[in-house]
Amino acid sequence: MEIPFDIGNISGPENARVSGPEALGRVIKNANRPLLVVGSEILDDGLIEKAITIGKKGIPIAATAHSMKGFVDAGYTENVYLTGLHELANNIESRDWMGFDKKGGYDVIAVLGGIYYSTSQFLIALKNFATDPMVRCISIDRYYHPAARMSFGNISRKHTHEFKKMLDRVIENI
Amino acid sequence: MGPTPMPGIADLRNWDYKLLNRYKPFYTPYCEMCCFCTFGKCDLTGGKKGACGLGMAAQQARFVTIACLIGCSAHTAHGRHLLHKVLKLVGDREINMGTGINVEAPLTRLITGIKPERLSDFIPVLEYLEEQIAQLMDSTHTGQEGSNLDYESKAYHAGMLDSLGKEVADIIQIVAFDLPKGDPDTPLVEIGMGCVDESKPVILVIGHNVVPSVAVMDYMSDHGLDERIEVVGICCTAIDTTRYSRKARIVGSIGRQLRFVRSGVADVIMVDEQCIRADILEQAERIHAPLIATNDKALYGLIDRTNDSVDDIVTILASGKEPGVAILDPVKAGEVAVRVVQIMHEKRKELVHILTDEEFKEYVTMCQNCDANCIVACPQGLPIGEANKAAAEGNTAPLASLFDPCVGCGRCEQVCKKHIPIVDVILKASLPYVKSEKGMIRVGRGPVLDTEIRKVGAPLVLGTIPGIIAIVGCGNYPSGTKDVYLIAKEFAERKYIVVLTGCGAMDAALYRDEDGKTLYEKYPGDFDGGCVLNIGSCVSNAHIHGAAIKVAAIYARRNIRGNYAEIADYILNRVGACGVAWGAMSQKAASIASGVNRIGIPVVIGPHGWKYRRAYLGRKYVDEDWVVYDARDGSKVQIEPAPEHLLVAADTYQEAIPLIARLCFRPTDNSMGRQVKLTHYMDLSMKYLGVYPDDWHIFVRGEADLPLARKEEYLKILKEEHGWDVDLEAKKILSGPVRKMDVGFDATNLEELIKKKE
Repeated sequence: MEIPFDIGNISGPENARVSGPEALGRVIKNANRPLLVVGSEILDDGLIEKAITIGKKGIPIAATAHSMKGFVDAGYTENVYLTGLHELANNIESRDWMGFDKKGGYDVIAVLGGIYYSTSQFLIALKNFATDPMVRCISIDRYYHPAARMSFGNISRKHTHEFKKMLDRVIENI
Repeated sequence: MGPTPMPGIADLRNWDYKLLNRYKPFYTPYCEMCCFCTFGKCDLTGGKKGACGLGMAAQQARFVTIACLIGCSAHTAHGRHLLHKVLKLVGDREINMGTGINVEAPLTRLITGIKPERLSDFIPVLEYLEEQIAQLMDSTHTGQEGSNLDYESKAYHAGMLDSLGKEVADIIQIVAFDLPKGDPDTPLVEIGMGCVDESKPVILVIGHNVVPSVAVMDYMSDHGLDERIEVVGICCTAIDTTRYSRKARIVGSIGRQLRFVRSGVADVIMVDEQCIRADILEQAERIHAPLIATNDKALYGLIDRTNDSVDDIVTILASGKEPGVAILDPVKAGEVAVRVVQIMHEKRKELVHILTDEEFKEYVTMCQNCDANCIVACPQGLPIGEANKAAAEGNTAPLASLFDPCVGCGRCEQVCKKHIPIVDVILKASLPYVKSEKGMIRVGRGPVLDTEIRKVGAPLVLGTIPGIIAIVGCGNYPSGTKDVYLIAKEFAERKYIVVLTGCGAMDAALYRDEDGKTLYEKYPGDFDGGCVLNIGSCVSNAHIHGAAIKVAAIYARRNIRGNYAEIADYILNRVGACGVAWGAMSQKAASIASGVNRIGIPVVIGPHGWKYRRAYLGRKYVDEDWVVYDARDGSKVQIEPAPEHLLVAADTYQEAIPLIARLCFRPTDNSMGRQVKLTHYMDLSMKYLGVYPDDWHIFVRGEADLPLARKEEYLKILKEEHGWDVDLEAKKILSGPVRKMDVGFDATNLEELIKKKE
């Protein structure tokens, strides 16, 4: 059994299933209204390139923290939306929110490059309160996120190269 | 007298529900189970209720209520303890806050209706607080409250009580010890781990209750030892000791505690209450420094020697027969500390506590960069293994760079399979930085003067001073202390009023600009736009609430006594203030934020703040949430979401800064004020996020709200991107805004304040 990246972060009886990149990619592909949520850590290790590649596949991107600056600098803002993570979670839980494109809420949320502990709380909020309609959350980050439904296991920073290859396989399956 | 002097749990419930209907509680469970009673553990996931019938939302709200009660109890008990001690030490002094202050205790007047004239007038205030705390605690027992919203109302109540407890505590110490009474030009004192003169005997004081530290300073002064002994402090006791004596110095905030103790500089450690490491005795023993516990709330298993003679206690401590003692008489504790430190300094001279070069090399080489334990134990997830590896190869810079983002908890050491003392290793690597850490902080000034409020009341309410930025709270920052410096600097440069207390006030003082000046040296200490004020310790931040209340009392001439809801409504709609608890960690920070929120001031917290389990977030797209009355005739007015949230987290300081600017909008801003606020909001978003915010247009009520320098550009965006009807040639907005600017608009959320029904 995988341990949470922050070892004390054991919240309850149900924890995320450790999953491979193909399965995680397929969840995004099969979603009706998927959303990629990225944080400030995508500005490290060239992860923003992977986010942009996902964005170019038609998956809208919620740019939290100051990650928006990275997209602006990279010249890609096509389907990238500026938001705070807290505000985003509150909106996703709301039936009144019509999404960034005003066409409706999202059914699958994938997280990448957020601060571990705030992302963990984001996921646990949605797990418990984004239930009508049900929103499924997955993590394609380098951390094991027990509050997601499916997650990679912990991937050390010394294995960043392998992590990026896993992201490529996620992308191939979208 | 207003309608609610000494309100009980339900007396302000109507106001609370006004807030809760707009700023709905948003829950982030930190634990999905409940283990409070023997029915449990109960699994609350998937909409399940516990054996007692309580669901997930109510359990989270209950937990927050308990956290707020812990925080509120700490401040209130601190005040009660101070009163006990100072009535004996200085007698029942008159409360005289100086010629610049007539509204001496705004929170006491607002909440209890009492206008205190002597210290003993706080006795009924404390009795009120203690009863309310007991009643609220009772409500958290199994089989009591079942509604999450009513628990939130109770958390608000605890937060309000916390603000009152803080004010009582700070006024008592100001009056008893003649601390500064709102002086804008208090002296500057040194701060930082590098400011300690290690050649002298060093007494380290830790905590929040200044009475024993005052006794240390008095004993030194009475015996001509001022220049011969160093008294340095960590946490709010440090701030308050410098308010009492300019001879004391500040090491820093809570995050520096373990590292400074481990450095071995302190010859004696004296603790009082709150924010002290629970293993302080073990840490003190490790460096062979005696520990003196002075408060019955934190005794660490030490023998109570309060009734022993000073000579005997000094002998016991100097001989090392006991690693520490408890002395509950502050005067005696002060004398013992001063006498023992002189002996211990001589005895400890030869001891070395920082790792040698050889030890350091051995430890970093032992590290296998396994990434198995330390990184998952670290609350910050710091890459310790990588840094050790670099150090083993001769590059200590990565290890040194961990010093500031490290919160100094020591969890890493406990799990290292190689038993590497990681805290000591980081300390060794960062020694050059530590030795040069010397900032300057202005001594905590205490309350805001009534005369200052008269000057800034109008520009604050109209918005031309764009806001009060209140940086408060603990040191659990996402990426180190510099964030609070950068936040304070940005808003001071933009002529906001920047007020700081507690750890935030200390950490912002550690950095210098290109001219070598700290914020406190560069900016004046007045309560005015473009100034930076150290208000004081945690309990002093009651004066920030107090300033907002005084705007209502002095500028708007509202009655404040026993009139909480009206004044909170006034502040919510008119006073552009925003709290920033960037490193919020403690239960006190939870109660502080809840108290600030109930009085109508939003708060931005750092990413660790998600762990408090609850935020108060508005939904700007739900029109009915943003309707208020115009008190002139009772008509309902659709307003812009101002302020949009009451309690919200940001992940990085770059995200926080534009968010803070956004939360300073208020419905009553005049056009000039709205221009100023809009300018900053848009500039800051562009500066830190690379784009204009996507919601700026909703704060525009007409072309007069647009910043002149970019009016044409903004009008074009409104027309082309937001579909507003704009006459670009005439530079006129024809339609689009939520409402038009109305200079006489008297916004209120309270029906009872409507003067004439429409």
